[in-house]
Order: sequence, then structure tokens, then C-alpha cells
Amino acid sequence: MTNKKIDVLIIGAGPAGVAAGIGAKKQGAENVVVLERDWDLGGILQQCIHPGFGLRTFREELTGPEYMHRFIQEAHEAGVEFRTNTMVFQIETQPPLSKGRGTAYGGGVVPVKVWTMNKERGIECLEPGAIVLTMGCRERPLGAIRIPGSRPAGIYTAGTAQRFVNMEGYMPGKKAVILGSGDIGLIMARRMIWEGAEVEGVYEVMSWPGGLRRNIAQCLDDYGIPFHLQTTVTKIHGQDRLEGVTVAKVDEKMKPIEGTERFVECDTLLLAIGLIPENELSRMAGIEIHPVTGGPVVNDLLQTSNPAVFAAGNVVIVYDLVDNVSDEGLIAGTNAAKFAAGKLSPEQKRIPVKGGQNVRLFSPQFVTGESDTIIYMRVTHPIEQACKVTAEPGLYTQKLRYARPGEMNEARIKASMIKANPDLKEIVIDVLPL
Amino acid sequence: MNYDVIIIGSGVTGSAIARELSRYKLKIAVLDKASELPSGASRANSSMIHGGFDDEPGTVKSKFCVAGNKLWHKLKDELDVHLDECGSYVCAFNDKEAKHLEELLAQGKANGVPGVEIISGDKLREKEPKASVEIIAGLYAPEAAIINNFEAVNALIESAKINGAELFLETLVTGLLFDDEKNIRGVSTNKGEFLAPVVINAGGVHAGEIASWAGDTSFKIIPTKGEYFLLDRTTQGFIHSFLFSCPSKAGKGVTVLQTAEGNLMAGPTATEQEDPEDRSTTPEGLAEVLKGARRLVPDFPINLNITTFAGVRANTESGDFEISVLKNPRGFVNVAGIKSPGFTSAPAIAEHIAGLLKEELADRIKLTPNEKFIPTRKNIPRFLYLNMEERQELAKNDPAYAQIVCRCETVTEGQVLEAIRRGARTVTAVKMMTRAGTGRCQGGFCCPRVVEILSRELNIPLDEITRHGGESKLLVGKTKEFLLNK
Repeated sequence: MTNKKIDVLIIGAGPAGVAAGIGAKKQGAENVVVLERDWDLGGILQQCIHPGFGLRTFREELTGPEYMHRFIQEAHEAGVEFRTNTMVFQIETQPPLSKGRGTAYGGGVVPVKVWTMNKERGIECLEPGAIVLTMGCRERPLGAIRIPGSRPAGIYTAGTAQRFVNMEGYMPGKKAVILGSGDIGLIMARRMIWEGAEVEGVYEVMSWPGGLRRNIAQCLDDYGIPFHLQTTVTKIHGQDRLEGVTVAKVDEKMKPIEGTERFVECDTLLLAIGLIPENELSRMAGIEIHPVTGGPVVNDLLQTSNPAVFAAGNVVIVYDLVDNVSDEGLIAGTNAAKFAAGKLSPEQKRIPVKGGQNVRLFSPQFVTGESDTIIYMRVTHPIEQACKVTAEPGLYTQKLRYARPGEMNEARIKASMIKANPDLKEIVIDVLPL
Repeated sequence: MNYDVIIIGSGVTGSAIARELSRYKLKIAVLDKASELPSGASRANSSMIHGGFDDEPGTVKSKFCVAGNKLWHKLKDELDVHLDECGSYVCAFNDKEAKHLEELLAQGKANGVPGVEIISGDKLREKEPKASVEIIAGLYAPEAAIINNFEAVNALIESAKINGAELFLETLVTGLLFDDEKNIRGVSTNKGEFLAPVVINAGGVHAGEIASWAGDTSFKIIPTKGEYFLLDRTTQGFIHSFLFSCPSKAGKGVTVLQTAEGNLMAGPTATEQEDPEDRSTTPEGLAEVLKGARRLVPDFPINLNITTFAGVRANTESGDFEISVLKNPRGFVNVAGIKSPGFTSAPAIAEHIAGLLKEELADRIKLTPNEKFIPTRKNIPRFLYLNMEERQELAKNDPAYAQIVCRCETVTEGQVLEAIRRGARTVTAVKMMTRAGTGRCQGGFCCPRVVEILSRELNIPLDEITRHGGESKLLVGKTKEFLLNK
């Protein structure tokens, strides 16, 4: 067991964590360690064996493992240390000292203690100079939507089923109904068909799809899988193994409409009803969590309410594309390394970002203006006509053909424009029809 | 197979009886159709160790509840079971209900419940700030407690097993066997015959049917469903104890409580039904629970719900426990209708049953004390609750305790392996014994890992592992198999 001082400790070796490791090394941090609870690196991308990753970053269509392989290789070459089968189970933080003392922490104060466990190393306490939270997100379970009925085997989140099929090589069932139209559900619909199973249909309670249009086309339409909007599962049947579900149309208030119920025979129900940033550790670390995103409140340096704690990727806000997650990981790792080296000024600007019209959630919530930044956002309601994303006052305008909750939008803010406007009090982002 | 006594059902009642009888030199068989413990009403209930003021003096229930409460406070240490000695409050919203509290207080005193008192609404809210401002008074019972019911049943049966009792799971009793004098000889099951001169019917919702095989139709079990919400453990401390609505004829009404593990919970309903096995939740039932929960705790954070469930309790027409030794056939004992406060009463009922066997069935069974009786049993280490030194020590001695399987409840592989060593064969059994899968992701993370460990340790293929026995297989075959068969 080494007692070498870790400069930047990264929790989670998915796309955000691996990129953060690269970012931290490139910034000059000496000891950069990425912890991973699974036995291999790559996070959820390990089980995403379908193509479609990296179109922006590499301009080619890669599978999840291929995409990760490129980053992991780069990280190895950069000298990032990885520890697999290592779980963080406790984080203790010192509250930061008040601002204006040069650094946010007084001399000798350890900002964070991270407790880890691993079969070979046992239980250890690490005291890094900065940490980056890259734990990703998890799937909403059935209980979150409180569907009445029995509790048989055969109900899985789409991601759990994907792990069984793609990593263990076992099928969760022969005839599936998919509830929710998040991307993993759509991908798994196609995957089940490829494996010779039946998919009776995909049911989405909203009047718009949860996932990307391209996945609706490539995973459902191409295989003739029926897609039912404004329809949900209202009851679960079966004692031992799932025997079927009742589905029903819903009204505008998402209440089932009487008389529209239909029994669907199936042995498997896959859930793709949303992803939630995984922030158990963030809460333990005492950092501020945003009530809408469910992730840490961050500035554009991806620094949380604790200056020594950074966060990136789906742990902050759930992204559509892995490319964005990697980009954010890189930024967080770079700034964590700067912080650990005492090179990140605590005297930054803190301009709040406000969500205006038709913006349901966004990140980051504060902008320093230190460098160019992207504010990622999702709309509340779809706009199926020409529209625009704006960041006021006059910081950004982008015309769009449409705006949909299932597809993220961006506002790109130039540092030069922030610098040119020293009295800037807030940035308001809107998505409006033209 | 020959035994001295057969206990049908390993719910809290059957398990407590098995453990009590294991104090004597007896060959005991406990039979249960389920694949893991607890199942039935002992799994899905409010996990309450009642104070004992609810039951009308003179009823069978009133006798056992207060005694059972005392026993649990002792058993928690002997059996290493998590008991939150938090007390309970019955909440009155109006003068009529406040008056009812006085009746309950008098009843409590008559039953010998220690420390019960009526407190003002404000005093109640000092203890439970989230309780409704409309509560005008409360009946406080300091000895009421909340138990980890999964642990408790497993602890009782393990203790019985340590002292020689045998447990047979997935063993469905299909009939009774009689000797030439038409007295009890044993039972027939799907796994063959089990012979014993004494059969104890602790069959829960099926106890009425089983009694009828012995010709006893003096009582009827009315399966009564109770539905619940269980919330994320981040709700810990939202309330600290157990809040009752004012009881009515329909039952104790919806309650809000913090489980022994710190989850917020609300329920139950009381809906009579035909099917003793229908444990499905319903839109109406859940709506009723939510309404009741919000009445007691207006800010009840239902958005943090992680699962809904229902239990079916064995109600009777009399509303009381049905405990009897049949005169004919000889050797048949009913311990039936053990609904609320059944969990509380179980250890006291068990002592009573031992007494009954001595007094009334001495010709068939001899209760000689077992001098080697070991009263204690150690729980599987609970990593979540250990301090850092204890954790390090555990991990040093067995590296499996340095590998997390369930991230929500911080359950290690070491705990899962120990559960398997103690008899877990299904994913639900592991859940009952370790809490893996009881957290906010409801097994999304740990289910594949638990399946893998079960498969590896028991040396059976992944697709043979079940959720809860029977046909509840989790996987249906290897990938590509369907394609090849098409």
C-alpha cells in the first residue's frame, strides 16, 4: 500500500472519469488515480455494444467499448493510475474556509477524505488534493412510478437487462414489453429482437419520446416495433414470473383513461423511465445538489459548492451523447489539477445562469468567464417548428429546426463576451419559437 | 422421516414456536412452502412491536401482546436483531378521537402496558415535527418498538436450527396423516411424508384450510390485504417513531413509521379478499394509504417512494387469535388467526404453546429440557453499521468483506456468502438476510451480481437461479439460443 500523495482522485472510470484523468494529467498533476467499482473500466459503455458513439469526437461510429478503448489507452499513456474493484463508500469533507484568504483551505487542512474498499488493498482512507465525482447516473426503478400489481420475476430496468444480455450472455425473457422510451429501452428493444425474442411494444406516458429520434427510427421503426405515446402500464400480473401487464391510454394529466385498458401477455417488462444522477457520495460529501437536475450545483469549471470537489458527466446532468460527457470530464479533470496545485484562483466571478422560457433544466448553474463555456439544457415542452436558443443579454443565439425534451440543446458562451460586460449580473437562457 | 413435532409454517409464529420448543429435547421439523424466510404476512407488515393498549382486556391478543413486547426487548440482544426502541403515538385529530385515546389509555393500563400516557399535540410535534398541526393529542407508548422483521424471523429459525430443529423450505403440506385411532400421525407434503405425534398449525392465511383437514371448522380465516409504500432511506429522520391513526372498527388504520433501517413507510389498508395468495397492490389501496399518510404527515415525501408492496394477514371472524389443542384428533394444535399484533405476540405465544404441550399433550410428547440449549445467535455482520475499525478488521480477515455487492445498502460479498452458508438459495432470500436489493435502486445494481454469486457458490447455472423459488426464474436461457431454435 502506497502512501504517495494523490493529487487528483476521480471516482468512477466511465467516460467522464477517464477523460477527467486525462485532463488532470495533461494539466500536470503528478498522481492521478481513478477508482472503479466494477472489475473493468468503461462504466456503462462496457455493455453498450451497439454503434453510434463518438460521431462528434472521432467523426466515426464506434461501439461503446471501442469508444472507451481510445480514451482508456490515452489515459494509460498519460500515466493515469486505475484501481478497479474499488468502491468508495464514504467521503468526509472539511467545510471550506471563508473566501478571500488566498486559498479556500488553510495550511495543512485536508479538504477531503475518501474511504475505499478493495479485496486486495482492504479498506483505505485516501486524502487527495482534489476529487472529481464521475459516478454517472442510475435508472429509475419501478417503485418510482408506483405501478400497482404483483411483484414477479421478469421486471428489469433496461440497463440491468442489457448487462445480462451483453455481458453475462443470458436472456432476461422471451416476450418483452418496454415501458418508457429512454434510449437504453429503445436500444434494448432492438437487442431483444436480434436475439430472437419478441417485443410487443414500447409504451411512453408522455406525448413525446424520451430518447433520441434516431433511436426511434433505427431501433423501433426499422423492426416494426409498435411505439405507443400517452400510454402506460397500469398493472402488473403474475405470481412467480411476469405473466402480463395491463396498459392504458392516459389523459393530459397522465391519468389512465377508463375503458382503454388492454391486457398484454409478456414474460418481461423492461423499464426505461428515466435516469437519475447518482449522488449518494456527493450528498455524503456535503455538496449542494440542484433540486431539478439531481446533480451537484457547478460552475463552468465544474467546481461544486466545495472548492476541492469537482463533478462531470451524468452525475451532474444526464447527457444524450457520450461526446459531451467526455468533454466535461476533461474540463473537470483539468480544473481539479489546477486546484490541487493551488493554481485555481478562489476569486472567480460567479455569474448565475437562470432558466427562462421553456427550459426545464440546465448546467452549469454559474459562469466564471475564465474560458469559453457551453450551457447544456433540456426544454420542458417540444417545439415542432423553427425556434431559437438564446442566452441573454445578447450572449448567444442559435436557430433550431425544432426543440425536443429528449434532445439536449446548448448555449455557447464566449469568455470574451463575459469579460466585455463587467456589470453582468445574470445570464438568462430561453428556448422560444421563432 | 420421524419427528416429535411438526410445525406447519415458518412465519414469525412458527419460527418462534420452533425456537421455544428447541429448549427441549425434541426432534422438530418446520415446513414451509416458501423458498425463503420470511414469506407471507411476516414479511409484509408494519414491523411493529406494539405497546399492547389496542387490545380489549380479556381477549387472547391482549394477553400475548404485552408479554410479547417484553420478550422482544430481551430477544433483540439474544438473537442480535435490530429493534428500534422508538415508542409509538396514536394521533387524535378531534375531541371524539381524543376521547378514544382515554379509552385506549384505560385499556393499556388494564393490560399492564408500562408507561403509556396522553400528551398534547404540541408535545407530540416536539418529538415528531413533521406530524400534522391538526393533531390535538397523542397516546404515547414508550415500550412500542420497530423491528427488522426480515432479520427477526431468520434469527428465530436460525436459533432453532442451532438447537437442532430442522427447516424444510419449498415443502408444501398437502394433507394430514392419521393413525388407526384417527389421531395425528404426521403430514403429507410435496416432498413426501413427515411423521410426528404432534402437528402445530401455524399456517397463516392457510391455517383455516389446514384446520379443516383435522375436522376443525370452528373458525374461518379471512385473508385481509394491507398495502404499503416504502420510501428511500434518505428520508431517515423525517419521522423517528410510529404514528398511528385513531383505530376504528376497520382496524388500526393507516400508520406512518420509520422502519428499523431508517426508511419511511406508510400503510396498511385492510381489504378482505378471497385469495390468500393475492399480494398485488391496487390503485385504490395505494391512494387510500397516501391519503392516510398525508393526514398524519402532510409533507409525506411520496416522490421518494422506492417500492410498494402488500401483505395478506390472517384475520378471523372473532378478530382474535385462535389458539387451541384439538381433543379430536389428538395431537393437532391450532395457532391461527395471528394477525396484528401477531409479530409482537409471537414469542409469548410460543411460550404458551410449550405450556399447552406439557399440560394437554403429555401423552404424545415429552418436554425434557435441553441443557445444551444455546439462547444466542449472531447476525450476519452488517457492514453498513460497523465503525471503520470493525470494517477494516472484517475485510482483513476475509477480503470478501471488501467487495460491495449492493451499493444502496452497502452490503458486501462477504455478507452474501454468509447468507448462502446459512441457507439462502434465491435472490429474495439473500435480500431478506442481508438487505441487498432493498435500497433505492431495488436490485438494479446488485441483482446480476447476486445471481452470479448464487450460481457460483451453489454450482448451478445462472438461468436456474430464481427470484423467490417456483417458476420465478430470472433468466430464460443463453443468448443466441432462441435464434438457433427458431
